Amino acid sequence: MDQGENVTQQADDLAEPDAAAGSQAPAGADGAAELDVTASDVTVPNIAAPDVTAEAVADEAGFEDMHDAGRMSTAPRADSFVAVPRLGATELLRWMWRQLTSMRIALTLLFLLSVAAIPGSLLPQREIDPNKVLQFFSAHPGWAPFLDRLQLFDVFESVWFGAIYSLLFVSLIGCILPRSAAHYRAMRGAPPAAPRNLKRLPVHASFRTTAPADEALAAAAKRLKGRRFRSTTGSDAAGNWVSAEKGYLRETGNLLFHLALIGILVAVAIGHFFGFKGARLVTEGTGFCDTVAGYDTLTMGQAVSAADLPPFCIKLNKFSATYQDSGDQFGQPRSFDAYVVYRATPSSPAQNVDVRVNSPITVNGTNVFLEGHGYAPVVTVRDGTGRVVYDGPVTFLGLNANFVSNGAIKVPDAKPRGLGFQGWLLPTAVQLPGSMPTSMFPAAQNPELILAAYAGDLGMDGSGSQSVYTLDVSKMTQLDVKSKTNPAAGNALELAVGQSAALPNGLGSITFDGVKQWAQFNIAYDPGQPIALGSAVAAVLGLLGSLGIRRRRIWVRVTEQTDGTRLIEVAGLARTEGATPTAEVTETAEALAGRLTVVSEDVVSEDAVPEGAASDEAKSDEAAPDDTSTVGDAPSAELPRQQRTSTPRTGASA
Amino acid sequence: MSINENFAHYSNLFIALALVAYAAAFFGYCAEWAFGSRSRIGAKASSVGQQSAAVPAQRAAEQATASVGASGVAVLTRTADEAEEPTVAGGSLRAEAVGRFAVMATVIGFALHFAGVLFRGLSAHRVPWANMYEFSCAAALAMAFAYLVLLATGRKARWLGLPVSFIVLVTLGLAYTVLYTDAEELVPALHSYWLYIHVTAAVLSTGAFGVATVATILYLLKAAAEEGKLPWLSGPLQRVPSSGTLDRTAYRVIAFIFPLWTFAVIAGAIWAEKAWGRYWGWDPKETWSFIVWVIYAAYLHARATHGWKGRAAAWIALAAFTCVMFNYFGVNTLLTGKHSYAGL
Ligand code: HEM
Repeated sequence: MDQGENVTQQADDLAEPDAAAGSQAPAGADGAAELDVTASDVTVPNIAAPDVTAEAVADEAGFEDMHDAGRMSTAPRADSFVAVPRLGATELLRWMWRQLTSMRIALTLLFLLSVAAIPGSLLPQREIDPNKVLQFFSAHPGWAPFLDRLQLFDVFESVWFGAIYSLLFVSLIGCILPRSAAHYRAMRGAPPAAPRNLKRLPVHASFRTTAPADEALAAAAKRLKGRRFRSTTGSDAAGNWVSAEKGYLRETGNLLFHLALIGILVAVAIGHFFGFKGARLVTEGTGFCDTVAGYDTLTMGQAVSAADLPPFCIKLNKFSATYQDSGDQFGQPRSFDAYVVYRATPSSPAQNVDVRVNSPITVNGTNVFLEGHGYAPVVTVRDGTGRVVYDGPVTFLGLNANFVSNGAIKVPDAKPRGLGFQGWLLPTAVQLPGSMPTSMFPAAQNPELILAAYAGDLGMDGSGSQSVYTLDVSKMTQLDVKSKTNPAAGNALELAVGQSAALPNGLGSITFDGVKQWAQFNIAYDPGQPIALGSAVAAVLGLLGSLGIRRRRIWVRVTEQTDGTRLIEVAGLARTEGATPTAEVTETAEALAGRLTVVSEDVVSEDAVPEGAASDEAKSDEAAPDDTSTVGDAPSAELPRQQRTSTPRTGASA
Repeated sequence: MSINENFAHYSNLFIALALVAYAAAFFGYCAEWAFGSRSRIGAKASSVGQQSAAVPAQRAAEQATASVGASGVAVLTRTADEAEEPTVAGGSLRAEAVGRFAVMATVIGFALHFAGVLFRGLSAHRVPWANMYEFSCAAALAMAFAYLVLLATGRKARWLGLPVSFIVLVTLGLAYTVLYTDAEELVPALHSYWLYIHVTAAVLSTGAFGVATVATILYLLKAAAEEGKLPWLSGPLQRVPSSGTLDRTAYRVIAFIFPLWTFAVIAGAIWAEKAWGRYWGWDPKETWSFIVWVIYAAYLHARATHGWKGRAAAWIALAAFTCVMFNYFGVNTLLTGKHSYAGL
């Protein structure tokens, strides 16, 4: 039978007694937490794999109840998920809250969150690259608007994504606070009373002694305390007992982890409100200042105003890039250096720095990063009157690895007619016979401009803003500049550095003077970062505790025997999967036996069975040592050998 | 710094030899499965497998193991005894022998593989995982490592040998034939010591998640077989451990490596902050790492939520690993983002 289902089924078996007991419990989780002992005691008999008990118990009392601590778990949990009780508003609210803070919902929300994130990676996102979104719109005019209505281009700002993680975190808080309270109480209260029948527990060791009860108890308590168990003693009808528990740090870690997640959320929120990020493209020889006007794009948090921008200025002296020029990574970039001069404030002295991809400059808390680069052909345009109407670099955008770049040169006030050029810059131009020229290397080794020329109204005076990289040719006529020598280039001018071309009908001329590079800088300020980092560290530490530490209980019972001797029983229960303290229990027993005088007896306990059947249990637990500490496990590996010597191998023939 | 061509050459040589050794290991494991008899233990465990479904829990609970230690202490355990798990070889000595041989071959393959990765790094004076060829070699190495660790720590994990050696063989073969690229210097984006921290953690996690996935798949098959389904597979499946053990192995590997993956993602965020000015920007790689993280978190929750344990959780783990794979191959090849410098 499937262990998993086995577990489930057992867990359900548990629900009854557990819930029933829950109704008598003191306040909620704490009661529940202690309950699992009784629960396990009650229910071990109908559990094939005892360690499962611990788990099932842990599920029931440990998690589910803890999520809605404060409720008296009267209703069998099985129903509580499906059936909405026909009750008043308050009950309904409590019921909804209970659902929201249940593990199941947490699980569901985690799923939804992961699924919801997928489109954000498959579709272009405005946050990341608005241009790509525009391209997508023009590529799929049909359904792009529809997708847009679903906020699929702003997934991570979308209502639905927000709703999911808000719910998740409400659920997280609703789960974590009660758990913390319960854990706090558990840490202060004593470990739970010993179950009546210790033989029912996953591991049980016993011997008879003539030593007096209190001596035995003292020895047991001392031993367990020595092993850094939190322990307490007590007595009941059956006799005296010591109860000890260890591994509370597991829950502490788990809570820390979950709280840290909240910390990260807070950090992100702070970044959104009090941070800003902007981008600015700077051509060699030019610069900009950190003002709202200075940016190409700028997003400021609600709590940030233009006045808050630190007043630094940056000038790009030179940008240099090197590329692999051999081998099968030909053309891969090898280094980018942006040599800039900056002033922290207009008055402060200028400083020279080399900004690289992984080394930003920090100007009082604000970081300046090298984000991208490209080419800006320098051109001189004369109009029909012979007047120089444009003279300078024009930024082109790189389209591929070899920086085939595209852009537009706009000269609206040329006379007699406005002039515009649209086309490509090829850093290392090559032309295979009969095909369009292209670039074969990203560095500017043989730059060439390929430009289509237009005359007319560029439509720039109007309000409608247009991209600097494209020409609006709707009110322009294309000029015939077809080259006689190289028809393959199509109806376009083909200019090498230093070359000029006259435009037809005396409209003017254009000269390709050379190539400059531009660098794009990202400027970012995020006051949330330290909190995010702190929380992240806490999260990892918490996880290590939550997944690494084993929580377990050990009980020692002393019962008077009819023959005047005393039976010393040591038994253990794991509160976390596969952590049955077999070794700790046997070691404790042996240690006690070493201290107290043992009355030997022949063990064939009524529970003992041939090993063949015992190997049933092989499915249930400890098959592999606990991933966390092998301490307890090395000896438990010894155990089987003892067993083999001491029990007949009838199983062999089974 | 210039590339050391000799070292680069050794690296390729070692990887090629590793491929041979792994292939030998793979065939060794195959032989072990083939020769392995339905041994005493194997047979018993399987019969137990069917039986325990029938046995009323009441009776099952009465079953336990008693023993007396030297000190006269009577010990009564209901916990499992791994020694009783079936083994691939079963009782067959021939199978046992080839099994041992296969493990040897795996160790040798691992050593060569390690040398290959090492020399790759030495040749380029940097960590040897900066492009897809190198990631693949490293991830395969991590997976072989995870398997050998399980063996070394005394687990009876040889049942993992066949699938693991197969996956390592395929991954490495793919890297060597399809993804191969010469040892070169780094692109500027990777000029950071975070490459060491972040990618190392990511590669190790990937390898370990791979092993966990193998265990998960075997668990699903074994669980079905224990219910009398998949008769055509029941033979071989009798020689892998019980579904309980497989399930637990998967859980332990994941629980062990999840914090490392969490760390890998965080380290990535720190690096992103240094390189791009924001620690999180929903770049495709970041998004998919997040998805993987959340789904494994969901798995851990499922493991702690009754009604979700066992199969449901197993399927979640498989979904998570599918995302790991997509995050690697899919994102690197199909989607463009800041991370698309994997130098295919
Ligand atoms: C929103 C409601 C949440 C609830 C009710 C919840 C509850 C729990 C509980 C009870 C455990 C202990 C299980 C165990 O120890 O095995 C746990 C563990 C864990 N939770 Fe949450 N959690 C929630 C949210 C989250 C979130 C948002 C994450 C992050 C993605 C998360 C990640 C984890 C992880 C990784 C563990 C593993 C610890 C372990 O297995 O011991 N949880 N969670």
